[in-house]
Amino acid sequence: MTNISFTGLSKRFFTLSLVIIAVILVASLVLGVQMDVQFKGGSIITYSYEGNLDKEAFAKTAQDLTETTISIQESTDIATGRGTMVLTLPGSKSLTAEQMVAVTEGLQAQFPENNPQTLSISNVSATMGAEFLAKCLTAVAFASLLMIVYVAFRFRRIGGWAAGVMGVVALIHDIIVVFGVFVLLRIPLNENFIAVVLTILGYSLNDTIVIYDRIRENKKLQGDKLSLAELVDLSINQSFRRTLNTTITTVLAMVVVTAVAFIYNVESIITFSGPMILGLISGVYSSICIAGPLWVRWRNYRDAKA
Amino acid sequence: MKKVGKPVFFVVVLLIVMITTLSFVGIHRQYGDITTTYIKGAGDVRWGIDIRGGVDVTFSPPEGYDASTEDMSKAQAIIETRLINLNITDYEIYPDMEQDRIIVRFPWKSGEENFDPVRAIEELGETAMLTFREGAEVDANGQPAGVTAENIILTGADVERAEYVYGQYTEGAPSHFVSLVFKDSGKQAFADATERLQGSQISIWMDEEIISAPTVNAHIIDGQAVIEGQFTAASAAELARKIQGGALPFKLTTENYSTISPSLGEGAKNAMVLAGFIAYIVVCAYMIWQYRLPGAVAAIGLAGQVGLTIAAITGFFGFVPSFTLTLPGIAGIILSIGFGVDANVITAERIKEEIRIGKTIDGAILSGFNRAFTAIFDGNITVIIVSIILMGAFGPPNSLFARLLKPVFFMFGPTTAGTIYSFGYTLLMGVLANFVMGIFACRMMQRSICRFRPFRKTWLFGGEK
Repeated sequence: MTNISFTGLSKRFFTLSLVIIAVILVASLVLGVQMDVQFKGGSIITYSYEGNLDKEAFAKTAQDLTETTISIQESTDIATGRGTMVLTLPGSKSLTAEQMVAVTEGLQAQFPENNPQTLSISNVSATMGAEFLAKCLTAVAFASLLMIVYVAFRFRRIGGWAAGVMGVVALIHDIIVVFGVFVLLRIPLNENFIAVVLTILGYSLNDTIVIYDRIRENKKLQGDKLSLAELVDLSINQSFRRTLNTTITTVLAMVVVTAVAFIYNVESIITFSGPMILGLISGVYSSICIAGPLWVRWRNYRDAKA
Repeated sequence: MKKVGKPVFFVVVLLIVMITTLSFVGIHRQYGDITTTYIKGAGDVRWGIDIRGGVDVTFSPPEGYDASTEDMSKAQAIIETRLINLNITDYEIYPDMEQDRIIVRFPWKSGEENFDPVRAIEELGETAMLTFREGAEVDANGQPAGVTAENIILTGADVERAEYVYGQYTEGAPSHFVSLVFKDSGKQAFADATERLQGSQISIWMDEEIISAPTVNAHIIDGQAVIEGQFTAASAAELARKIQGGALPFKLTTENYSTISPSLGEGAKNAMVLAGFIAYIVVCAYMIWQYRLPGAVAAIGLAGQVGLTIAAITGFFGFVPSFTLTLPGIAGIILSIGFGVDANVITAERIKEEIRIGKTIDGAILSGFNRAFTAIFDGNITVIIVSIILMGAFGPPNSLFARLLKPVFFMFGPTTAGTIYSFGYTLLMGVLANFVMGIFACRMMQRSICRFRPFRKTWLFGGEK
């Protein structure tokens, strides 16, 4: 068993968390929050091509065909070794299927030697994007609601509503961190963001419950022999190795996934497993270093006032 | 508590090896050209379109058009017919009558290098206005002109059905023709027109394109007509299809579609499967390093957990439908490998503690597993809640959890992006498989193996040497 005074270090933990949250908020104001076409609407088209393709000329033709100012990015498809061009339409502009066919055929006619083929298309109208975003936010809100209900039910016998509130604070901490990872890494928010947030919600709360459960058990065993801070420290230390080791194995699994996805350039997985790693770390950190110590502070503050 | 016999360990290991192997390999019997599948293996997994390539599209009537439920189910039937005409049989179609939308998902046509998915989308939605017009006057651009532009006799809405027939219609050799049946709404107009226009033409138009211009040979009063001419089987069938398909008074539009080519997905799938194997080995190595014998037992249980999860995806038995597996779905399996050792960590930690304070191995194992079930249940219930919400929010509208959570998401149409649904499913199945393997199977193995003398060393459980 470890013997770390988590409540004693709580000032440092709170400072660290507040700094991280402040950095994330400033970054999202300065850098802005990017939304994937899934949420804001828009169109991203990836063409594969052969040989050497003049990027500027390709972009110019695409601009003429779509009558917009597109942005273009060059990349390589690792699987086939062919070059790819990623066209992004401005704002939330999307194309109908007819327009899309016209653009592709126009490009094929203009660059017959390069044989451009559509590799992938993501095309969403602004209204459908907004609806999908609303649905996803509803899912997060509903999950949070269920978590709060569960916390209220589960914590009734532990520390009353105050403990539940601290558990929820820890969850909000984790959501902000996952959000921050997307903002700082410049990953547009997409359905992966929602999936990671929900998973971390479930995962982080589970760690918090394990710790609070220990507190309850120790209180029964030790009675009033220990101060509240000692009781919480004892409980965190008792469950520390379990919590830490489960997180380490899960983080290891996700690190492997991220590394392999990075080597093979599977972007849809990198933007999933990468934020998941930091979310998992935040989840265990907030359970150990925030939820418990914060509860002790609140109780001490309340007792001092009484 | 009753002692667990020595052979139990081998029985459990054998069962795990069998389940895991079967879920990966399956049982098939080749009889001539026909392969019968008894147990489905990993090769029978239905891959999502993000892996095998494909198209995901949401059709809707043009803006401002209030389509009736009848219109929408007709549109669905038309899309289905067209998919089959395009030789795409493995499609999924989800009509949403409340929001007037039809979601279609279909895989990339196999064996076609230069398949243009957007063109296929265009063709599917191309349900144009079908009109029967007087005469066949066209201007220089092929647009209807003169009396043909002015006088529309019938529209596609008046068509009951159009069919390709091969048979003897008139005297002589059998021929290919198209049989038409009009609805009551069109019978009178058609009768009037055929009476008036005998000997001259009635042209059939798809939007602004003329698709046929037969000459009227008889006054038709019963609403049943035949178009004959120089047809081949294919051209007659195509015309019948167009007329039948045109029996929808609006065009399906779409600004919502995503396509992905199979070359992108195949590489991604292999990468993720590789990542799964590496992650399994890394997690097992960590567990054995940390907990020695209980860690090794955990590794066996973990293999069983993956096996059960894969069995839940394939449907395992030949007659159970399989579940679509996407890239995030594979990520979910790998994530639950990481989560899954939770049960083993708890018990192994307990055993270690108890042995260090001087308990016997048997006593330590018993108390180690005693608390495991409630602790795991507690720890996993939140993940179960989350995975159910994920499936409800991202699942196809006819799935169990989407229907269950309909009261929550009632305002929204069905989700078009289908890759996260699979993640919710594998996460849920991983947790459930963990209950079976991480708790019950591991407990039996652990209690059985420690009855063998070589394994009765406290060092193997984390004690001092």
